[in-house]
Order: sequence, then structure tokens, then C-alpha cells
Amino acid sequence: MNNIYALSPLLIIVAASLLVLLLEVFIKRENRNYLAYVSMIFLIACAAVCAQFWNRFYSYFDGNLILDNLSLFFSFILALATFLIILLSMKYLTLQDTNYGEYYALLLFALSGMIIMISSRDLIVIFLGLEVLSISSYALAGLRRSDEKSSEAAIKYFLLGSFASAFLVFGIALLFGAVQSTGIAPIVEYFQSASTLSLMALVGLGFVVIGFGFKIAVVPFHMWTPDVYQGAPTPITAFFSVGPKAVGFAVLLRIFYPYFRDALDSQLIFSLLWIVSVLTMIVGNLIALRQTNVKRILAYSSIAHAGYLMVAILASDRESLVFYLTVYLFMNIGAFASVIALGRKDHEYLELEDYRGIGFKYPWIGATFSVFLISLAGFPPTGGFLAKFYVFSAAVREGLISLVIIGVLASLVSVFYYLRIIIMMYMREPAYEVDINIDNPALFLVLFLCLYGVLQLGIFPGNILVLIKQAVSSFPLL
Amino acid sequence: MNVPILSIVTFLPLAGAVLFIFIGRERENLLRYLALFITILTFIISLYLYFNFNAQTPEPQFVEKAAWIGYGINYHIGIDGISLYLVLLTTFLMPIVILSSWTYIQKRVKEYLIFMLLLQTGIIGVFVALNLFLFYVFWEAMLIPMYFLIGIWGGHRKIYATVKFVLFTMLGSLLMLVAIFYMYSLFYKATGTYSLNIFDYYRMMLNPSVQIWLFLAFGLAFAIKVPMFPFHTWLPDAHVEAPTAGSVVLAAVLLKMGTYGFLRFALPLFPDALQKFLPVLAVLSIIGIIYGGLMALIQKDVKSLVAYSSVSHMGLIMLAVFALNFEAVEGAIYQMLNHGLSTGALFLCVGILYERAHTRLIKDFGGVSKQMPIFSAFFMIFMLSSVGLPGLNGFVGEVLCLFGVFKTSTLFAVLGVTTVILAAAYLLWMFQRVMQGPITNQKILTFKDLRIREIVYLVPIVIMMFWMGIYPQTFLRKMDTSVTHLLNQVNKREAIFTKSQDGKENYPPYILIESEDDKQEPPKEEEESR
Repeated sequence: MNNIYALSPLLIIVAASLLVLLLEVFIKRENRNYLAYVSMIFLIACAAVCAQFWNRFYSYFDGNLILDNLSLFFSFILALATFLIILLSMKYLTLQDTNYGEYYALLLFALSGMIIMISSRDLIVIFLGLEVLSISSYALAGLRRSDEKSSEAAIKYFLLGSFASAFLVFGIALLFGAVQSTGIAPIVEYFQSASTLSLMALVGLGFVVIGFGFKIAVVPFHMWTPDVYQGAPTPITAFFSVGPKAVGFAVLLRIFYPYFRDALDSQLIFSLLWIVSVLTMIVGNLIALRQTNVKRILAYSSIAHAGYLMVAILASDRESLVFYLTVYLFMNIGAFASVIALGRKDHEYLELEDYRGIGFKYPWIGATFSVFLISLAGFPPTGGFLAKFYVFSAAVREGLISLVIIGVLASLVSVFYYLRIIIMMYMREPAYEVDINIDNPALFLVLFLCLYGVLQLGIFPGNILVLIKQAVSSFPLL
Repeated sequence: MNVPILSIVTFLPLAGAVLFIFIGRERENLLRYLALFITILTFIISLYLYFNFNAQTPEPQFVEKAAWIGYGINYHIGIDGISLYLVLLTTFLMPIVILSSWTYIQKRVKEYLIFMLLLQTGIIGVFVALNLFLFYVFWEAMLIPMYFLIGIWGGHRKIYATVKFVLFTMLGSLLMLVAIFYMYSLFYKATGTYSLNIFDYYRMMLNPSVQIWLFLAFGLAFAIKVPMFPFHTWLPDAHVEAPTAGSVVLAAVLLKMGTYGFLRFALPLFPDALQKFLPVLAVLSIIGIIYGGLMALIQKDVKSLVAYSSVSHMGLIMLAVFALNFEAVEGAIYQMLNHGLSTGALFLCVGILYERAHTRLIKDFGGVSKQMPIFSAFFMIFMLSSVGLPGLNGFVGEVLCLFGVFKTSTLFAVLGVTTVILAAAYLLWMFQRVMQGPITNQKILTFKDLRIREIVYLVPIVIMMFWMGIYPQTFLRKMDTSVTHLLNQVNKREAIFTKSQDGKENYPPYILIESEDDKQEPPKEEEESR
């Protein structure tokens, strides 16, 4: 149904970011938390609109912007993620002395870019969304201007990011040459029906995958991840680790789900993605073993998780992919929130050694952090286990047994480095005094929400599964 | 019956653990008494299971079924004659274990007790789960409390030991998970419905070549847990480094999860593969028996001696399981309980010694019985129970096991007897060096004999040992039908496959047998689940 309402989630977010930019001029520096409150109100509105539009299938701009259930679902959880990130940031920004007014506006711009990506079925529009997201991300990564690491992160992210964007555009151009269209539907149709695939189309598709592979950080396009994750302000790292990843996978899902399901000659792309998935799982997990910085460990862990998510793409199982992304959002934001909780003014405790004895000194933070790590490692009864269970069982159903065996062995390796943090927290005596600022109710709210999410999704995921089923059943809406 | 008695037994400790979160850590004695109360209450409730257990049917009893996540993942629990005793063993030992760590654990009492209670829920859950997903959840979830118990309250090399324990176990169980996925998808392809119900899988006849891989995956997980040679290397480390209570639970109950897994899953699901691997498995068991025994002989540390004796005893149990006849399997189950009691008790004794001496090296002891006569008597009984003295529980189990094995293979039985001989050698020699002779170490003169609390938790074990040794009927008769049923399952399925095998070379990876219950009353089950 062509309806201008289809624009409303996007408009709300864009309006919010413009308003925040404007307000910043009038608000005193010490009152900048009001910007956060304004942003959060708009995020809630956006989420409410998404919930309201469920099952209505609005579209606009000749169908270039569609609000099917999948995009609504992702818009909702991304708005939720941004909401959590803002809660995390409020105190953090003051403590780290990076309380710039643009911060919230940039976050909201990034979110609007993601909503564009997720609600479009035209590669050019998706590219526009990606650029909105990317440019805001580069600025966010370099927010700590006085910090060398942060600037390094921004430059690195920018250079490699533009490189990836170039690949994406080139890929789109090649696809356009072969298919005479940039819409996902005609492209997929072309791959399904063409008797012989032109090399141009295949290369084009490959380039598009490379472009997105960069955003979702799969090996061998992962090089930027650890440095950017380490250098960026921690709430932004949390944002990077869930937002762009979720969107990237959702777009890949839109392209590859119908493609793998019906296309005959998908073997080449399939084996390439298979290799990427295996490499991602192995490299991510193995390198994480050697890290001593918690943010870097989480960076490599997020690479490894991209590998598991690729398994879901290969199994072309939509529900398990979306479920995994949902769980991943909660457990990863939760883990980063715990890292932020252990920071104090001008200093963050990020080395493994800093975590010695934390578990007993700050039992609540220690316990919740452990739950997130256990969930990331895939132990029941947390959401992380159920997510892996769905992905891997779907893959076995599709006959990808060797891939699953590699996957479970890789996650065995991952158990080691997740447990290493827990060992530090509970089984080693502290070497020096770690003094943290625990007066931060917003952060504890985030920890609580994420904990709730991880456990709810692990033990009683029933309702969410129903929603996810609805989200993917209306799809592909071509 | 509307009271979900089995769920209460399973989750009462968990509820206790949640309650503990809200109690201040400085009220240590309150926490201890409360933990004791919860575990004793759990034990008393679990006795209800024993008294109301119907020994005439092999079907699972006290079944509770409820829809949970969907896709075949249901909450489905129940017990039969095999799991009944393992649940009882767990609930019986838990109060004892809590009492034994009354003074031993001085720091972080709250967390310690929370993990103990979580562990109990995990273990009982493994024994009662009838849905493979639920089983796997408990199987894995139980690792976490054990990981913390060893890692926080363990000895010098605790981190090495606990990480090794977790990684070893997970290696096996993750491969088992892949096998579960495979069966899950086979069942889906065969019937078009999702199921993880163990009884549905019993009806699924798998192609022997498929069975081999599945059996290897399941078998590896269970063999690591038992542990069978050569997967036993985690065990001495974990045992030696764990706190006393951890060792007791580990030896008495956790290892039984492996043997239980063989009985519940690996045997009835993959009988053809089992037949192929029987010789290998039997030989591995024998190697375990002899290797464990010899290693126990040369240990300098009392605790690792008991740990290696576990390897040896579990070898005998596995050998009996693989003999696949009534006496042997029943003996194996009985011996599982005996081993739980006697090895658990020996670890308790080592703990009592360690609390006084702060050493576990055999050479530091000598003549302890002069100083601690009551303890000496207890220790003697436990040791003799482990050796298999007639009149005590170990004897009954070992005799049944060996009779059964003898029926199948004389050679294996002869080799299996070495368990008893070696056990007598290393335990008696250890007892002699530790308890008897002159007092060489002046420190021993300061040892105090058992306190009332220690006597209180050792006496029930002694009573059980005599009871199980003198009148085993109490326990054995409730197992009979379940064991017969299990063996029927293993044998009947072989017959089906030999029939379908002749002439044809290509047969599907699975055949689904229609069960009689299915035809009779499928709608009723639906109603119950809601």
C-alpha cells in the first residue's frame, strides 16, 4: 500500500536528530543530558510507530521504501539498541570529557541510515542509507579528539570504509549493467532465471557482498574491527558491534534468501560464502585467544559471531538469523555495558589484569558480566545457547554438517577466552586497587534490561519467536 | 496427581539459590543452615518418588509434559527404574556435602552455597529430562557451577584444572549436540514434525552406517564424562584441585551422568553401532580398570589415589554395561550407586584429614588411627566398601557385574576381576601407611577426633552401605523391569535390522516404527501439554 505513513519511523528519527542539533545551541554544557532525554523520547516514539505498523505493509516512493514486518522488526530493535546506547553514554560522556552535543545527533543520523537500509529494496537506496550510517560512524569513532587511539580508529574506519563503499557502488554498477536494474527483486529474478550467468553479474554480486562483508566484519574484511572497537568510545563500540552488523545481515538476508532458495547456479557464491564463514569463525576465535584488552577480545568475538551468522545465511534460515541477531544485540550491549560500568573518571579499566577480583568486589556487575559472557560462549540457559541451537540445527537440516562441526569446535575455542575474563574476575586475587564509579543508575538500567533480554530469550523466547516468524513470513515482499 | 513432584525436586535447589541472592553475605550461619534445610527438604520430597514408584512398568513415571519453546522443544521429565536411584543418590548426598563443607569453606560462603544448589538442580535435571533439548540444557548448564566451584575454592592449580574440565566436557558435548541436530533433522524429514522427545527417537531405526557416526558423537561425550581411558586425563586434575565437596559431587554423581548417558541414549538409540564398537569399548574399559588401578598404586597424594581408583571402578561399570545382559547391567547400575557412596565417602575422609593436617601426602601421615579412633573406624568401613568386602554394598555390585561379564566373555571377566585385586592393594596399602604404624609426624598428635557434625554426616553413609550390602533387594527389585526393557530395546532393534538387511544393500537412513501408544491416544497427550 503506497502511503506516506511509511516514512514516519524515518522522519521521526531525522526530526529528532535535527532537533537535537538545534537544541544544542541553546542548552548549557552541563545540561546536555536533556539532549539525551529528547533523543530517547523520539526513539520511543519511533519504536511505538514500528509496533503500530506491524502487519500493515506500507510502502512509499514507488515501493523504494517498504515497511514490511522484517524492516519494522529491525527498526524496532535498532531503536531499542540506540536507546540503550544513549542510556550508557549519558554518564560516560561526562566522565570521559567528551560531552559534545553532536553526539546524540550523530547517533540518530546513524540510526536513520540503518532504517533506510533495512526498509529499502533498491541497492542504490541501500547504498545511500549505508553512507548516512558510515559517515556518522566515522565521526563517532573519532569522538575522543584528544585521544590518539580514537583518531586512529576514525581514520582507519574512514579509509577502509570508503574503500568498501567503492566496492559496493562498483558492484551495484556491474549488476545494473547485467540486469538493467538496481532493485533487489529484478536482480534475484535474473539470477534465478538466467540460463547462463554473465560474469559481470557474478562479479557484481561478489563486490556487493564484499561491501557488506566490511560492515558486518567477516574475515577477510575484518581488519578494521579490533582497532576501531578499541579506539572508539566504549558505548559507540557497543553500537558498532550490533547496529551495522544487524543491518548488514538483514540486507544480505534480503538478497540471498530467495537467491539460495531457488537459484540453480548458486554454487560458486555459496562456496565462497562457505569459506568466508569458516574463516571468520576460526580466525575470529583464534586471534581472540591472544588478546589481553577486553575491548579487543569483544571485537574478535564479534567477528566470530559474524561467522556463526553467516552459517544462518548459508542455511538460508531466516528465523534463526533474526533470532540470533536479537539475542546478540542484548548480550553484546550487555557485555560492553559491563565494561563501561567498570570505568571511572578519565580512565577505563580495559586490560584483563584490571579485572582481577572484580567479581567479588562488585558482585552485581561481576555476575551480570558473567551471564553475558556465558551467553556469548553459548551456554544454556541463556539466549546465546538457544540462538546457536537454532542456527546450527537449521544448518544441519540443510545438510551443512561439516560447517556445523567447524562451528561448534570454533565455539569451543571461544569458551576459553570468555572464561578467561571470568577467571580474572573470580579466581584471581586483585593485584592493585581498582576504584570505579558505581553511581550510575542509567547504566544499571541497561545492565538489567540486557540481562532480562538474555534470560528471557534463553528460557521463554515464545513471544519473540512468534514475532520473528511474522517478520520473516511476509517476506520476500517483491 | 496434580502436584508436580518431580519438578519440585528438580527446581527446589534452584529456588533456594535465588532466595540466597537476597540474604546478606555476612550472615554465614543462616546461609549454611538454610542450604542444609533446602537440601534435606529436597531429599525428603524425593523419598516420595521412591515410595510411590511403580516397579511393574518400564514406562517413565511422574511424567510432566508442557509445551515450552516449540519446534519439538518441550518440557518433558520423568523417571524410570534407572534414573530413580541416581536422583535419590544426588538428593541423599547433597545435605552431606553441605555439612562437610561447614567449616572447610570459610570465604565466600554465600556464593559457594549458591553454586552448590545450582549444581544440584543441574544434575537432577540431567537424570530426569526426557527431551533431548532439556537434557542438553541441564548437561551443559551444570558445567557452570562446577566450573566456579573448582575455580574459586580449589587448590593451587585450580584454574588449570577447571578450564581443562570445562573444555574436555564441552568438546564431547558439542559434538553430541551436532549429532542431536542430525537426528532432529532426520526425524523432521521422516515425519514432517519436529521432535526432540527421546521416545520418538527410540522408534526411529537408523541405518547402521549413520548410527556409527552418531554413536561416536554421543559416545565421546559420555566417555569423557565417565571418564573412559584415554579421555580420563581431566579427572585427576579436577578431583585433586576441587574442594572436598566438589570432589564428592564430581565422583559420586557427575561421573554417573556419563554411564547414565550410555544407558539412556547411546545403547538404545544406536544398537547396531554399539555391536560394532563393543570389542573396542570393552578393551578400553579393561585398560581403564588396570591403568587406573596401577596409577592409584603409585600415587603420593591420597586424593589423587582415590581419583585414580575412580577411573578403575568406572572401568568395571562400563565393562558391565557393555556386557549387555541382565545381571551385568543391573550390577552396573547398582555399582554406580555403590561407587557414588564409597568414593564419595573416601573423598569426605580425605577432606577430614586435610582439614586437620593441611596436607594430603601419604608420607606426612602415619598412625593417625591412634589419635582418631572413631574416624579410623569410618575410614575402614568406607575403604572396605570400595574394595568390595562381603556384607558391604560394593560386594553385591561387583559380584553382579562380574557374573554378568562372565556370561559374555570369560577373558574379560578375568581381567575385570583385577579391579577388586588392585583396589584391595592400593587402598589397604594406603590405609596402612596413613592410619597405622608409628606416629612419625608430631603434628598428628594435635589431631582431634571427629566432631559431632562429622559423625552426623558419615553415619547415614555407613547405614546405606550396610543396607545395600545386606539386603540389596530393596533397591534392585525396582530396577528390574526398566533394565529388562532397556535390554529388549537393544536386542529387538537388532532383530529388525537383520530382517530388513537381507538382500538389500540400499536402505533409507531411518525407518520409523509406529508405536502402539500413538494409535491409541495422541489427542490426550495434547491436552495434557496445555
